[in-house]
Amino acid sequence: MLKVPNHQVAGHKAGDGKLGPLVDDSGRFYKPLQGNDRGSNELTFYTSFSSNTRIPDHIRRFFPKFYGTQLVEASDGSGLQPHLVLQDLNFGRVNPSIMDIKIGSRTWAPQALEDYIQKCLKKDRETSSLPIGFRLSGFQIYQNRELGFWKPERTSFQSLSADEVKLFLRKFVSSNTSANLDLQPDCSFASIVYGGSTGILSQLLELKAWFEDQTIYHFYSCSILIMYEKDFVSNGKIPCAEIKLIDFAHVYEGKGVIDHNFLGGLCSLIKFVSEIITTPDECTTEASPKDIQKNQIYFENGTS
Amino acid sequence: MLKVPDHQVAGHKAGNGKLGPLVDDSGHFYKPLQGDERGSNEVSFYASFSSNTRIPGHIRRFFPNFYGTQLVEASDGSGLQPHLVLQDLTLGRVNPSIMDIKIGSRTWPPQATKDYISKCLKKDRESSSIPLGFRFSGLQIYESRELGFWKPGKRSIKCLSADEVKLILRKFVSSHASEEMDSKPDCTFASVVYGGSAGILAQLLELKAWFEDQTIYHFYSCSVLMTYEKELISNGKSPNAEIKLVDFAHVVEGKGVIDHNFLGGLCSLIKFISEILTTPDECTTESSSEDFRKNRISEDGAP
Repeated sequence: MLKVPNHQVAGHKAGDGKLGPLVDDSGRFYKPLQGNDRGSNELTFYTSFSSNTRIPDHIRRFFPKFYGTQLVEASDGSGLQPHLVLQDLNFGRVNPSIMDIKIGSRTWAPQALEDYIQKCLKKDRETSSLPIGFRLSGFQIYQNRELGFWKPERTSFQSLSADEVKLFLRKFVSSNTSANLDLQPDCSFASIVYGGSTGILSQLLELKAWFEDQTIYHFYSCSILIMYEKDFVSNGKIPCAEIKLIDFAHVYEGKGVIDHNFLGGLCSLIKFVSEIITTPDECTTEASPKDIQKNQIYFENGTS
Repeated sequence: MLKVPDHQVAGHKAGNGKLGPLVDDSGHFYKPLQGDERGSNEVSFYASFSSNTRIPGHIRRFFPNFYGTQLVEASDGSGLQPHLVLQDLTLGRVNPSIMDIKIGSRTWPPQATKDYISKCLKKDRESSSIPLGFRFSGLQIYESRELGFWKPGKRSIKCLSADEVKLILRKFVSSHASEEMDSKPDCTFASVVYGGSAGILAQLLELKAWFEDQTIYHFYSCSVLMTYEKELISNGKSPNAEIKLVDFAHVVEGKGVIDHNFLGGLCSLIKFISEILTTPDECTTESSSEDFRKNRISEDGAP
């Protein structure tokens, strides 16, 4: 039985007659093949990647498993449609805190169509992509059983300054993330989620080493999903912090050149995360939680 | 007594009544302060950088020494003009081979004017900057006393494919560079110029480590100059291979963010050079020396 995923933070969403991805009970994620070339591009990538013997295992684990394609009843009632069958990255997770971060100061490939390039360029310039090399595409933080998730509206985190991005990255690993925007994030979980030999930072560094070397693919408009379980940390267990790369509708051949665009953005993200680990007590200097409030962050239930 | 530099590969050139930099006998390079804000931007950068205590010594050596500004007789006859006084990077060098490589897939800062951005974006898209993360601004390779330098026209080296760039980087460390030779670049000097603990690659890696960390400056349209002396190698000495960063008219504050644009391009250049060191015998697969000739690489820009 297919249903709408519980924890999708970005991308088209199924439900209310719209077309979007679905999940089953056994850990599979069904992504409708998008129109134009994007669907076939993503399929081409997954097919190529899954059979590419040059991908080392420790890097392969950062990519969702690919199970081929399948005709499935589309979520918008349009009947049987081809879907990509991928690993459900939230399978088994209880209340995951998730960030979707689009990597690269440029989200367009040189080979793309002019209209598309102009559209992307405009977005890159209006968001944090151009200045900091990445932007937040999706965000949810688990607070507790009573409050549930803090899931700000997409518009409230699309065009953030560097300091506002830092604030979000700190909130992500804080125990006091809540409706109360006046509190400085306490970064209680920074060292256990971002830090440590299996933490987010060390996984990002493994990915960075591969990007300094691989010349097979260039990943445009691709995201890094960062996930962990806050409940586990609160109960003294390890947080299961993971990074995954997703969204491969705009991947091109590397042709002997490294993906310097992705790599630059990745290094920038690494610097932001490293700084949180080394200075967990620092509050942002230029943007306080109050400034963020002015940017109209709303809760899912519509209250501000 | 000021004269036109012998070994300038890029930028405005003095001589024939044009405005350009000059050098003296004691290791100083006089760069005329450019119009609009570029001149003052560059002075601001040098002034800030030279007094910035956060710059470690091993990184400072990659930047030209700054000696302030001075009024000097301009090379175009327009009288006394303010000039930046910098270290002459070619002082004491005899017949240096030099590459000027502009780093970064984007040569424009986000804060620039719309016109400037459009102009730069067009150039970045038409050159190797966007695909590779860097492009050649200028180049001269010393051949021999008889042949002198191979110095291709600037226009012909800007819009190169990845394979053509690889070819040039190999030619740079080969015993024969000129296009007259049909032979593949032999990369004879790759290990001693690019490799080794004091070679180009080691210096680039030091620079890369700093760029992964520093959030003080963002360097747009800035070049890495690579220089060495082929004759020293022929005489059994070390080639004096050095990298220097030059051209700081478009440097802006980092404001707590790393210079991810420069870093990406630098990593791409590092990958190209590393590959030459690990595979010195490989010829380019898609572009041979002959293909190169078809792309009209010539002296003085003539086809």
